[in-house]
Amino acid sequence: MAALEPEERPPSSGEPLSPLQTGARYFCTVGRGLESFLTREVQARLAATEVEYISGKVFFTTNSGLTIMKQLKSAERLFLLLKRQSPLIISSGSKGKTLNEIQRLITGDPRCWIRAVSIWKSLLELEEKLPSGVSKPPKRKTEENENIITKKFKIEQTLMMPEDTECQLEKQKDDSIQEKKDLITEKEIFQEEKSKNDEEKEVEHHQDKLTFRVSCRCSGKVGKIFTTEEVGRVIGTTLIKEFGWKADLRNPSLEIFVHLNDTYSVVGIPIFRLPLASRAYIKVAGLRSTIAWTMASLAEINIGAVVLDPMCGLGTILLEAAKEWPNAYYLGADVSDSQLLGAYDNLKSASLMDRIELLKFSVTELPLLSESVDVIISDVPFGKKFKLGKDIKSILHEMERVLCVGGTIVLLLSENLHRYLQNYKESNIIWNSSKDNTNEFKFVQYVNAEEKNGIQENVSSLFQDHRQECLDKRPLFGTLVQMECHKVSLGRTEAFISKYKKIHASGLQQPF
Amino acid sequence: MKLLTHNLLSSHVRGVGPRGFPLRIQATEVRVSPVDFNPDFVTRMIPKMEWTALVEAAESLGHLSELPRELAEGYEKDEEFLRKVHHVLLEVEVVEGTLQCPESGRLFPISRGIPNMLLSDEEAAS
Repeated sequence: MAALEPEERPPSSGEPLSPLQTGARYFCTVGRGLESFLTREVQARLAATEVEYISGKVFFTTNSGLTIMKQLKSAERLFLLLKRQSPLIISSGSKGKTLNEIQRLITGDPRCWIRAVSIWKSLLELEEKLPSGVSKPPKRKTEENENIITKKFKIEQTLMMPEDTECQLEKQKDDSIQEKKDLITEKEIFQEEKSKNDEEKEVEHHQDKLTFRVSCRCSGKVGKIFTTEEVGRVIGTTLIKEFGWKADLRNPSLEIFVHLNDTYSVVGIPIFRLPLASRAYIKVAGLRSTIAWTMASLAEINIGAVVLDPMCGLGTILLEAAKEWPNAYYLGADVSDSQLLGAYDNLKSASLMDRIELLKFSVTELPLLSESVDVIISDVPFGKKFKLGKDIKSILHEMERVLCVGGTIVLLLSENLHRYLQNYKESNIIWNSSKDNTNEFKFVQYVNAEEKNGIQENVSSLFQDHRQECLDKRPLFGTLVQMECHKVSLGRTEAFISKYKKIHASGLQQPF
Repeated sequence: MKLLTHNLLSSHVRGVGPRGFPLRIQATEVRVSPVDFNPDFVTRMIPKMEWTALVEAAESLGHLSELPRELAEGYEKDEEFLRKVHHVLLEVEVVEGTLQCPESGRLFPISRGIPNMLLSDEEAAS
C-alpha cells in the first residue's frame, strides 16, 4: 500500500535520510466528528502507524509519499508534525513569563526545528523527482490554477505575522466554527504579483535561504492574554534570531502553523498549499467534500451497485462517491433546474458523465421501480425545502420502497430531524409491541419520560400524529434498521450521518 | 438518459402502479459515446435489469445491437455478449425526446439528456 516509486530509489549520497524510508510523523486537521473516519483512512490508505486523535486533529506516522497523502479524503489539511507538547504554563500576572514560554517552543529544542525543515525539504524534492506524467500536488506558488481554486474558499481567513493588518483577530476568537479555522489559506496572497517572484523563489529555495511566515491559532488561557498577532510576532522574531530565516508574509517558502490552547501546543508545517478538502475535481462544492466522502464510505458501494442521491443538489456526494468507487452506477435527482445545471457542469468538468446520470424528480415521488436501487445517499435539506412530519415520512417511505433488500441508506440529518426520527422510531416500537388496551397508558408514559429529558412540548403532539399513522399503516421503519449514527460538524451547525439497512420484514438480513 | 437508467424508471402518476413500466421512448436525438468496458460491472448489472424491457428499448432506438430476446445462461463468460450489453446499457443515450407512461399516456420530456419526471401536485397526490 505504501509502496511508491520514490521509495524504491536509493538516496543519493549526501541526501538526508528519506522520510519515505524511515517514516515521518504528520498530523491532519479534520472536521469534528470525522476523526475516527480519518483514523481508519490513514491506516488503510497510508498504512499509517501510531495513529491517535484528539478533537479536530489526527496524528500518525507513515512513509507514504506526497502523491498518496494527497488522496486523503476525510481530512482538511495535512501537516508535517514539528512539535507536540503539553500546554504552555501560563503565569497569570506576568505577560513576559508567558512570552518566554512561547519563545522556548523554539529555543528549548532548536534541533527539532532543523530536523523538521530538512524532512519537509526532502519530501518536496522527492516529489519533484517523480517521473513526468504523475500529477504534482500544488505545493508551491508556481502552480497555475491556485488562484481559481483558492477563491472558492472565501470563508477562510489567514493569520499572519506582524504587519498583517487584515488579521481578523476578534472575529476569529469569537468564532466557534472550528473548521473555518482549520482551513487556513492565503487568498489575498495569490491575487497579485505572483509570477514575478517565482524565479527568485526557486533560487532562494535552492540556496537554502528560507523565507517563512507564521500562522497562529490561540484559544483558552493563551488566547485570553495574547492576540494571535502577538504570538505570531514573538515566534517570528525568535525564528529570525535563532535560524537567520527571513520573514516573508506574501510569498514564503515555508509556513509554520502554531496552535496553542489549554490541552496542547502543536507546531506543524503545512505540506500542501491548498487544503486536502478542496478537491481539484470539484468545480463548485455544495456539501463539504469531506462529509460527502465519509457518507459514501459508509454506504458499502459494491461493483455494479445502483446508487441514488434523490436530492443531489450540485452533486457533491455523487462526485465524491464516483471518484472513489468508480464501478457503480450513479443516479442524481433534484427538483431545481439551477441545481441540476450546476451538477451537470460539475460532472462534466470532473469527466464523470459516463457514470452519473441526472434526472429531475422529487424525493417524495420517486419514478423508480420498487427494489431497484442498492444504495441511497443524501443530504436531507431540512428547513429549506421540507418540514418535519409528513414530508420526512413520505421521503423515507419512498426510499424504503425503491431500496433492494439488504440495501443501504446513508443520510445527513439536521439535529432536529435526527431527534425527530429517533423519537419516531421509538414510538413505533411501542406501538408494534403492544397489542392490548394498555397502549394509551404506555404511550403517555413514554411522552412523559421524554419531556423530563428536556424534549419540547411539540414533540408530544407529533406523537399523536404518529399514532394515527401507525394504527392503519405499516410502520415506517418496518424494514429499515438503523446501523450507525455519527454526530459531525458542518461548521456553523452540527448534523448526523445516519446509516440504515433494509432488512426482510421477518427480520432476517439478506446478504448482498 | 442511458438505457440503464430507463430500465429503472417507472411512471409514478397517481393510480398507475406497476403498469407504469416500461416507459415508451420517443427520441429525437440519440447519441452514442464510448464508455470504458468493465465486465464485472455488466455481469452484476444484468440480473437487475428487466431484460425484455431493455431489448425493446434498444430496438425502439434502432440500437438492438444483436441482443437476444431471451437471456441465455452462462452469459458471464461470454465477453462478446457482455460487450453488447455494455454498449446498450451505457453507450446509447437519449439526448432529446420524451418518455411516455404506458398507462396514463403522460409525457415526460428529456432535454440535454436529463429526463424531467417531476409531477404536478394533482398528479402526485396520493
